[in-house]
Order: sequence, then structure tokens, then C-alpha cells
Amino acid sequence: MEITLTHYLVLAGAVFLTGMVGFIVRRNAIIMMMCVELMLCSTNIVFAAFSRVHGDGGGHVFVLMNFAVAAAEAAIGLAILVEIFRRRRTVNVDNFKALME
Amino acid sequence: MNDFFIPAVGAQFGLLLPYLIVAVGGLLVMLVDSFVKTVKKDHLSFLTLFILIGGILVQILTRSQGGVVLGGMLLVDDYSWFFNSLFMGVGVMTTIFATGSFDRDGVYRPEFYPLILFSILGMMVLSGANDLLTLFLGLETMSLAVYVLVGGVRGNVRSSEAGFKYLILGGFSSAFLLMGLAFLYGFAGGTGFDAIAAAMRSDQPDVLLASFGSGLVLIGLGFKVAMVPFHMWTPDVYEGAPSYITGFMATAVKAAGFAVLVRFVLLMQPQVAFTWFPVLTVLTVLTMTLGNLVALAQSNIKRMLAWSSIAHAGYLMLGVLTLISPAVGGSEMMLRSTEIGNAAGSAILFYLLAYTLMNLTAFGIINILGNRPGEDGEDINRFAGLYKKNPIAAAAMTVALLSLAGIPPMVGFMGKFYLFASVVRAGLIPLAVIGVINSLISVYYYLRVMVMMYMKEPEEDSYSGTEWVSVVTSGVLAILVIYIGVQPDAFHRLAEAIFRQINF
Repeated sequence: MEITLTHYLVLAGAVFLTGMVGFIVRRNAIIMMMCVELMLCSTNIVFAAFSRVHGDGGGHVFVLMNFAVAAAEAAIGLAILVEIFRRRRTVNVDNFKALME
Repeated sequence: MNDFFIPAVGAQFGLLLPYLIVAVGGLLVMLVDSFVKTVKKDHLSFLTLFILIGGILVQILTRSQGGVVLGGMLLVDDYSWFFNSLFMGVGVMTTIFATGSFDRDGVYRPEFYPLILFSILGMMVLSGANDLLTLFLGLETMSLAVYVLVGGVRGNVRSSEAGFKYLILGGFSSAFLLMGLAFLYGFAGGTGFDAIAAAMRSDQPDVLLASFGSGLVLIGLGFKVAMVPFHMWTPDVYEGAPSYITGFMATAVKAAGFAVLVRFVLLMQPQVAFTWFPVLTVLTVLTMTLGNLVALAQSNIKRMLAWSSIAHAGYLMLGVLTLISPAVGGSEMMLRSTEIGNAAGSAILFYLLAYTLMNLTAFGIINILGNRPGEDGEDINRFAGLYKKNPIAAAAMTVALLSLAGIPPMVGFMGKFYLFASVVRAGLIPLAVIGVINSLISVYYYLRVMVMMYMKEPEEDSYSGTEWVSVVTSGVLAILVIYIGVQPDAFHRLAEAIFRQINF
């Protein structure tokens, strides 16, 4: 069987939806961050696939930039989480209640 | 590759100079803070102000030049000139407010100074984006710096939780934006806006890919400008962040979101107009109405202004809708549509200027009200009898609130006037009526704060300590609010000239 663009798009869509559902369902802050990373990574598949289809290098550059941004985001998120964990002793987002009316 | 890039940068060094000043300035501030032992926060503050004011001056002096730099990735035109000056101006005010707040509270955040410069750099890249890559990187540079600014107050759990909430939902929306960019890349076969425009003009554009991609990008940008239903983070983040950062987010970040949103809808106009116009219309009405109705019930002024900023995003979305409203009829109507587009676009620019001025005035005053270190003047009761204790602060706040409510002769009135006038000219009269009704509702909650300031007796120790620099800065902004409100013509003509340049 030949692997076509559609296969890549379906794969990316599946990974993206997995991340999205996980983000909505799970209450553990670290798992939620992992789900966001999953969603960001699924777009890399789309970029790489379209890059191959069009024979254009721009998509690959986008993927590399995306890695850097995702890593920076994870670093900031974990730093803030550590600060919250010191205070609350939990990373369950249902307990982050300082800002609810 | 080298032959291509290095001469290009060399020749267009002047065009990149404002960007370079802010970028190198941010690194410089960071290094000075780390390695110079004798530095005090006032030194960092002056250095940051010096960099930003230098950037504004260079930006203003290089207005006449324009062009495409960095191999077509960044567009230097009057539009980016306007927004870059606005962002750096907001940066100056925020630095003044923040330094005042550090002095009063004894809480010193040295990371504030480089981060504010980096987030402004991200906004500047965003306002000149001419490539999907610069759009994404500008947005993320801005957002990552603002996440830390919101969540980085040590030992303050409300700030940390606000920062985390902003980060996690911001990452979630970035994923949608990025997926949209990926589909647009697939649609065009290149990351440049030129490639996308060429693909749109081709004989058989892939309508499905373009509509799907632009819809996902609109979700991502809608989050940044707090459009319903992507607004859920706004009240909590605005409340938890320190007031000077809330002011920065409500003005500069929102303006940056609209800067790129306007460029994006102009680029994608045919597709966006036909596919997403009905959806955007419903969301705009919801944004205005929900923002104003929920603001009525708030007793915390930062939450109230957060909901009011959602409502103002709705007014600005009215302008964006007018910009992309599908033209009906023959060629004559198409011609008029361009004219209406110019009116709407210049109204958006003018409104963003007005909104920035009045909101910064308000947050400058909120930033200095508080009776304990580290606490902001959040509860509306804190404003009781303010006019007796500090008449200048009360006057500045009054001007800001009247302007937000859209009462003449403040600039907020002229902004709404231009905006609603363009909506009516485009024939979207029901939308204009909803907008006017909404701004009537909003008068109630703005006036409630004024009643507190002038008609209630001050509570014991409800206000102590005066940060005169912040009060005077807010006062100057309030004078600008009145001045531009009385003399709007010059600024409106400027906005029109700027927008005419980018409107197809």
C-alpha cells in the first residue's frame, strides 16, 4: 500500500484529537501540559507532510522552530507549576481555586 | 544562502533598527542585571525607558522608509510603524507603573525589565508579519514573555495560578493556530503571505483547505484578543496578574492581536468573508453582550475591566466584520466596499489608540490603590472617597471611565463614533444598533466606580501612600484622552492614510 498525504493527515488528526480530549478530560496539570505538547507535535506531522508534497523546505523550518517554542513553553509551565506545588502540595487543577469568585 | 541574506540585512539595516534596538536592549538589560553588582532597580528602569524611548524616536524618524526585510519575512510599512510606536509607548508607561509599584511594595522583580522588552519585540514582529513563520514566532515570543510576567510573582499563589492558566490555555490555542498555519501552508505551498495571496488568486484554489486553515487560525487569534467563546481565561488572568501587567495585557497584547488579525483577514478576505462571516457575526454579538452583562455584576475592578475588555474586543470585531463583509451587487458596489473597508480599518486603528490610552490611565490608578504592600486596589470599595484623598488620581480615573463608557468629549466616544459609522455605512445596521445598546449598558458599571469615588465617604485607611510618578503619568494620559477626543481629526486622518496603504 502506498502511503499518501491523506494517511499523514489522518495520523496528525488522530494525535491532535487525542491531545485535545486528554486536555479536556484530565485534571492533572502535568498531563494537561503533555497533551498540549502532543497537539503541537501533531502539527509537525502536517507541516512535514505538506513540505514533502510541495517540495518546499519552509515546512521543515517551521517544524524546527516549533520544537524550540514547545520546549520554551514546557520550561515556563513547569517552573510555574513548581511554584504552585510548593504552596498547594498538589498539581490537580481542580484545587487551583485562588481566582474563583 | 549567505550571498543572499547578509547583503539584504546590511542594506536594510535602517529598517530593522527599531527591532534591533529592542532585541539588543532586552539582552543588554538582562546582562547588566546579572553581571553588574552595583545596579539598582532604578538603573534598570532608566535603561529600559532609555531603550524604549530611543526605539520610538528611531521608529518615528524612519517612517518615510518602507520595505520588505529578512528575505520577505517582515514587512516594514506605515501599519507596522503605527503599531510599533504604540507598543513601545505602552512599554514606557508600563515600566513607569511597574517601577512605582516596586518602590511602594518593596517587591522587586528584576526579570520584569528584559521580559517587557522581549514581549514588545514579539509584538513588533507580529505587527510586521509577512510570513506564517514570523506570525507564529512573533505571537509566541510575545506570549511566552507575558506568561512569565503574569505568573512570575514569587510567593503569590494567585499570580502563579493566573500564569499557569494563561499558559496552559494559551498553549492549547497555539496548537489550533499552528494547525491552521499548517493547513494554510499546505494550501499555498509556501510560508510567505505572497505565496498565500498568489494561491488565493489562482484559478482553482483549494477552498476547503483555505477555509479550514483560516478558521483554525481565527480560533487561535480569537483567544489572544479574548473573543467569546475563547474568553474564559480573561477574568481570572486579569485578576491574578499584578495590575501593571494587567494594564499591559489589556492594551498592548490586545492591540497586537488585532494588528495581526486585521492583516490576516485582509489576506484571506474572500475565503474568510464567505465561509466565516456568519459565524464571526454571531460571535461578535455574543462577545459584546456577554462582556457587558457579566461586567455589571463584578465587585472587583480588575475583573470588571477584564469583562469590559472582552466587550471592547467585541466592538473592535465589529470593525473587522465590516472590513470583510461580502460585497453585494455589481462592480460599483465592489468599489464602495473598498472605501468602506478603509473607513472600518482606520476606525479600528483609531479605536485601538483610544482604548490603549484610556485603559492604561485606569490601570495606572488601580496600580497605586492599596493599603498593604503587594495588594492592588481591587475591590470597588477601595475607591470610596478617593477624590478627597487624591483629587488628581480621582480626576484621571474619571476621565478614563467616562472615555471607556463612550461619553463625549473623551476619545472613547470618537472611537466608537468612527467604528459604528463605518458599520452603518457597510449596511450592517442591526450590528450597529446592538453595539450602541451595549455601550449604553456599559455606562452603568463604569458610573458605579465614579459614584464610589465622589459620593461615598472614605473608609478608614482605604488609601495610603502616593506614588506620584504613576499619578502624574496617568494624569498625562488622561489629558491625552481628552485632547484626542476634542481634536480627533489629525489622528483619524493619520489612521486613514496608514490603512489605505495596506488595504488591497
